[in-house]
Amino acid sequence: MIQKKVCMVGVFATGKTSLVQRFIHSLFSTKYHSTVGVKIDRKQVQVGTEQVNLLLWDIEGRTPEQEIPESYLKGAHAVLYVADGTRRETVDQLFSLRGHVHSAAGDVPSIVALNKHDLKDQWIVTPADTAKLITGGFHALTTSAKSGEGVEDAFRWLATATLTAPPTPTVQPPVRHGN
Amino acid sequence: MGTETLPSRIARVDAYGLSHTGKVRTVNEDHFAIMTLQKAVQLRATNLEDSALLDRLRKPHVDIFVVADGVGGGVGGKIASGVAVKSVVEYLAEAVGCVQDFDVDRETAFLEHLSQAVERGHHRLKEMFQTQGGPATTLTMVTLVWPRAYVIHLGDSRGYYMRRGSLRQFTRDQTMGDYLVDIGAVTEQHAEKAGLYNVLSSAVGGDFVPNVGVVDLADGDALLLCTDGLTKHVTDERIAEILGSRPAEAAVHALVDAALEDGGTDNVTVVVAKAE
Repeated sequence: MIQKKVCMVGVFATGKTSLVQRFIHSLFSTKYHSTVGVKIDRKQVQVGTEQVNLLLWDIEGRTPEQEIPESYLKGAHAVLYVADGTRRETVDQLFSLRGHVHSAAGDVPSIVALNKHDLKDQWIVTPADTAKLITGGFHALTTSAKSGEGVEDAFRWLATATLTAPPTPTVQPPVRHGN
Repeated sequence: MGTETLPSRIARVDAYGLSHTGKVRTVNEDHFAIMTLQKAVQLRATNLEDSALLDRLRKPHVDIFVVADGVGGGVGGKIASGVAVKSVVEYLAEAVGCVQDFDVDRETAFLEHLSQAVERGHHRLKEMFQTQGGPATTLTMVTLVWPRAYVIHLGDSRGYYMRRGSLRQFTRDQTMGDYLVDIGAVTEQHAEKAGLYNVLSSAVGGDFVPNVGVVDLADGDALLLCTDGLTKHVTDERIAEILGSRPAEAAVHALVDAALEDGGTDNVTVVVAKAE
């Protein structure tokens, strides 16, 4: 079976672990636990005729000033950047984070999950922010680990992208925002 | 004639472990093991110029630490934790070639071997006690291929590392209390009152849902594995103070003594490893 290492990166408390929980166990935890080191989970995904075993490396969140250890990123086949759509700084740091990830893992397929979209009254991501991400070369979509919105799509997109040249996202870039 | 000494890529690990029945229980249901896997030629000096040869000789040095806390009443818990730890030791002894072939690029396969080592104990227990609700055990195992610590964890024993005086728990307790509070089904108060923190949601011999993880260590870090006989009596602050001020053997004795002084209501097992 094909195995692919997917690294999940982002500032602390953006919901990386919750996205994995939703994807693998269809659960959402109301209690926050910070990850220490890396938590590794796996899930099989069918992509066309191929079974892909995704190894999800949920890497401890950092402050924007802290760098992820390169040793955790080495050998990644894809990267899921996770930002919290209710916290401006977690979106702003995506570009610098990408530079660091590229130097450690190379130019592997990646997608941005603008997470916590269920918190619509606190949502701060504007169409201009989204456009900036897309013109900057990111694929992006809105997700909610709580409702499940976009979660399956994000991981399936990555699984597909590890097997082929990065396709056009099967999900549309975010166009919805809070009030 | 000149000589060339090979540089060491291996941090020396000072490790020690101890298990105590405690002051209340009559049976010690805990087990632990500290192992080193080595299958390497140690070329201590040479004037050979074939650096490729030298690279092939440098096999990784693997340290493995395991603690297990059996549950099940009578001697069942003791049997369960013993079977689990023994199975890990046996599997890794048989699979030593696979472990020695390890490199970072093949760590997925390496992790698979470690998981299988733990799973063997699970299957053995299931075969021995074919009834539902037979004895089970927690198991926390760290496999250290310096500087990377691979973690496999089931139940409510714990793993910590300490860096520059700061203690961090890298395992999460797998109890029904933690699970139900996490998903918002009950409050912490309710879970506490109902004794749900004393019921394992995952264990070797029970519902087998291991957590797998990685922590990269640094020179000077201390690693601690322990059963809940320590953490129900000794605060994180006290653990950090003891770990930071003593070599491994002395730290282990001080931690066990601290648990006993506070009542020693449970079996207590402590393994400490310090990279030097």
